[in-house]
Amino acid sequence: MKVKIESLGVCLPEKAMTTEDLLSCCRRRPRLDLERITGIRERRVAEGKYAVDLAVAAARRALAMSRYRPEELGAIICTSISKHNRPDEFDLEPATAVRIAGAIGASRALAFDVVNACAGMITGIWVLEGLIRAGVVATGMVVSGEHNLPVVWTATREVRHSLDRQLAALTLGDAGAALILDHSEDERVGFHVLDLVTGAKHDHYCTSRPSARGPGGMLLTKARGLQIKGNQHFPAYLKQALDRTGWTLDDVNHLIPHQVSVRAIRKGVQAVEAYLGRELPGIVRCRAERFGNTTSTSHFVVLHELLRTGEAKAGDNLLLVGGASGIVIAHATLTLDDLPERYRAGLDGGR
Amino acid sequence: MRRCRIESLGVSLPRRRLRRWGSVRHAVEAGRRCLAASHYRPGDVEVLVNTGVYRDRHTCEPAMACYIQHRLGINVEFQGRRTASFDLLDGGVGMLSAAQVLAALVASGAASVGMIVASDANSDRQPDPGYTYPASGAAALLDISPRADVGFGGFAFETLSDRADLYTGGVSLAHRRGRVMLRRRAGLEEAFLEAATSAVAAVLERERTLRKDVDFVVPAQISPSFVGRLPAAISFPRHKVLDLTETMADTLSTSLFLALHQALRGGLVEPGKVVLLVACGSGITAGAALYRV
Repeated sequence: MKVKIESLGVCLPEKAMTTEDLLSCCRRRPRLDLERITGIRERRVAEGKYAVDLAVAAARRALAMSRYRPEELGAIICTSISKHNRPDEFDLEPATAVRIAGAIGASRALAFDVVNACAGMITGIWVLEGLIRAGVVATGMVVSGEHNLPVVWTATREVRHSLDRQLAALTLGDAGAALILDHSEDERVGFHVLDLVTGAKHDHYCTSRPSARGPGGMLLTKARGLQIKGNQHFPAYLKQALDRTGWTLDDVNHLIPHQVSVRAIRKGVQAVEAYLGRELPGIVRCRAERFGNTTSTSHFVVLHELLRTGEAKAGDNLLLVGGASGIVIAHATLTLDDLPERYRAGLDGGR
Repeated sequence: MRRCRIESLGVSLPRRRLRRWGSVRHAVEAGRRCLAASHYRPGDVEVLVNTGVYRDRHTCEPAMACYIQHRLGINVEFQGRRTASFDLLDGGVGMLSAAQVLAALVASGAASVGMIVASDANSDRQPDPGYTYPASGAAALLDISPRADVGFGGFAFETLSDRADLYTGGVSLAHRRGRVMLRRRAGLEEAFLEAATSAVAAVLERERTLRKDVDFVVPAQISPSFVGRLPAAISFPRHKVLDLTETMADTLSTSLFLALHQALRGGLVEPGKVVLLVACGSGITAGAALYRV
């Protein structure tokens, strides 16, 4: 039995902030040209909204396009990393999923949080797929709201030089995304392979915790090391995921990598090309220049853009490539049903 | 459908130590003991779920499960066999939620051996007085049951999301290095009991099991008053409900499995008996599961 994306909802805050604006907010402006290095021109920032608000807005949009009512959802899995649900506070209890379930009226759903850094939503899908296939629930929602702005502000206060480990925090953006999954009647559409692997030996490359220097949370990244280590290992898993699906790269219509930065994606593509010994056709979808790194929601922000602009069509094959601190390498292959048409109709109706 | 059973349990009990143990240390200790008691080797674990809530240095990324996987030496490199690790946060009900998730992954064929670890520790130098949980760890290794009648039966969870504010916990970022803030409000115990009553009724109905067929109830040891009032609320005789609150403090996410470990080790539960597991936590969420030993 296969599980498919029944509905999608994405919430992008209206306000955009350019990299230049952000750098001018830094107490000590790093000398390097962050925009040139990362390729990130701007990102969305949620002011006056919090992670749970973004998640709830995304969940409502997903429900508006879904054939399910909130009380029919069997599970709500929230995969936010940045649980900044109130000013200067990081929520651990109750699970953010409980707050979302309460807000959207999913009175009968199991509600818990799954946290796996930037691979959170793919992990959430994997968990929900297990629950659906085991018959525990018939349908459910994987939702994430990423309010990274507090971490970005900490970086603007604390970045001291061009090699500062908090520099990567300046690439983050805010977004919310929600997916409703149910079982697929047609065996040809839905998720084919979901592959998740953690190489815990490399757990030191990227950590997020409260700052030791002042108030606020911080994100510390050894960006170069993380990229090198990731690129060393992920192409083999990508190949395995394709093989298990029975696809080659020519069967893939859209390859959506985790949107770390434009340059990181380019390096990743080079790593895959070197491993496979062939050039990648123009299937890599990168929107990092406009939205920055929206952590766990990044794949679905891109999918939203592909659906909105009509680039993704019914029956298209997608390959999601996830990389996260831990180091977690995640791959998902899926075929879309008529979601693109429904999604565009929903968006037009919403307007 | 493949059934899932607890193959082995390991605990790291709260105790005074010269140097305070953090959450990872407790989880790893419990995990080691669990693996030592198991016939599986660390490399056999395909899924590792950590359900601890309060963690060392209030780290929110990467998943704490990665640190635990690393220290336990479970397929740490990107070669050969693989393990997927992630955190599942559901307050005091976390381990039971994770058991349901693992049981589903096992049933659907996505995995065959999984491990749940949980540990809570407050790493603040001056902890908030509202935080009362002693540091502890618990781990359980779950696999496919060799016999159809042994292992987890059904699960049921009940969430009273309208009363979520009765129990809130988080890290205040207004302080350097963060500070755990835990708030309990009046009416919490009643909410726990109400949620537990619904969850127990739901699981018994779903599994078509009568109360007389359940041999033992193992609840999370939240407080003497909660465990004292539980039998009347869920309509079970008092002697069937395990009460260890005299010797065991409430340890949040590990409480249920510490109690289950004590019950199994003390010979209170023998093979063939049906146990009802009951956990309560923030949400307000209660979970109940039937388990045949």
